[in-house]
Amino acid sequence: MTHDHDHDHDHDEHHHHHHPQEKSATELRVEALEALLAEKGLVSGEAIDAVVSYYENDVGPQNGARVVARAWADPTYKERLLADGTAAVKEFGFTGFELNTLVAVENTPKVHNVVVCTLCSCYPWPVLGLPPTWYKSAPYRARVVSEPRAVLREFGLELPAEVDLRVWDSTAEVRYLVVPERPDGTNGWSEEELARLVPRDAMIGTARALEPSV
Amino acid sequence: MGGMPGFGRVVEPGVDAAYHERWEPRVFALWAITSAEGLTAGSGRQLREKMPPEEYLRASYYERWQWSNERRLLAKRTIVEGEVDGWVERLRAGAPAPEHVDAAQAERVLAVVRTATEELGPAGATTFVPGDRVSVRQLKPVGHTRCPRYVRGANGVVTAVRGTYPLPDEGLRRGEIEPVYAVSFDSVDLFGATDEPTWTVLLDLQESYLEAA
Repeated sequence: MTHDHDHDHDHDEHHHHHHPQEKSATELRVEALEALLAEKGLVSGEAIDAVVSYYENDVGPQNGARVVARAWADPTYKERLLADGTAAVKEFGFTGFELNTLVAVENTPKVHNVVVCTLCSCYPWPVLGLPPTWYKSAPYRARVVSEPRAVLREFGLELPAEVDLRVWDSTAEVRYLVVPERPDGTNGWSEEELARLVPRDAMIGTARALEPSV
Repeated sequence: MGGMPGFGRVVEPGVDAAYHERWEPRVFALWAITSAEGLTAGSGRQLREKMPPEEYLRASYYERWQWSNERRLLAKRTIVEGEVDGWVERLRAGAPAPEHVDAAQAERVLAVVRTATEELGPAGATTFVPGDRVSVRQLKPVGHTRCPRYVRGANGVVTAVRGTYPLPDEGLRRGEIEPVYAVSFDSVDLFGATDEPTWTVLLDLQESYLEAA
């Protein structure tokens, strides 16, 4: 079974700790489980590659960015999104594992929302892809509810004291998408152009949308 | 883990990627395939919470998933105890890994991955309504719960009815369908006064966790 994959982009960071000659105990155990399930005629290597590729290439924050861009460009869409996030993202065909009941929350000059899952790692995969490592880490899960401004400062986000800071802990089958504030200087921009200003972290709430570069 | 003290920085080099090793997304894919193909029993998340706590904290995210993948397959008798160890030994000894070909499997699994979801059910009349003051019951969970420790005993305000969902907690009433509420807590009621300006923490809580305040 091959462990090489063809991707149209290379993830350098994936190879940081990669030493092909010395497999870790866990890596060997994963290969053993794959081998066992192949031997039993239950799991094909092709299916494994297809799922990996789906979450690397087809699903990711580019989906959520399109949703946010439309909400910025079309006030009636924004209304639908804030009223029923699940239905509003379905308009783009974004459905599947871990979307569940999607709630969109809007950042304004007075309100800032940030999302966490203190119990585990709940995250809206169909619109944001798989969560970054920090989102699943003990420090984020422990600290963002109890010292959110200190955590946001680590991300370079300084919130004025008077901003109403709301930390959403996804404890149930509800998943959250933050709609960041639309940056100034983007009047008349197309949805496609706007989507480029919406990084993943802006939809988790640990960053703002990008400023348009002049 | 909410509010647990003593952890360091969140933002560190390398933490931006979803994973770092090639085997990690394969663990994830094995979870998706074995779930979609009905080869497993039980909830991966609930099993992971049964890891001995020291082991849980030491293990990486996808090491925990590998752990729960094996246990879900064992629970369904898709595999039996010792079979994974057997293959570890064979691979270590240089045995070639077997291939299984199933041309339709990838598309069959992706069809489930693209559409399956766990949306909350519609709520009719509920015990609490937005604006109600509620307090979180003191609970001593026997296993899985969706009621984090840091809100137990605290007072909050219902801000929305999210819908209905089967009570996920282990115990007698597990599976009973009941309302889920968004409840808002003032940071002072959870953590006291701190050196940060106050904030709000909002959680979605099953009705069983709540009582009128």
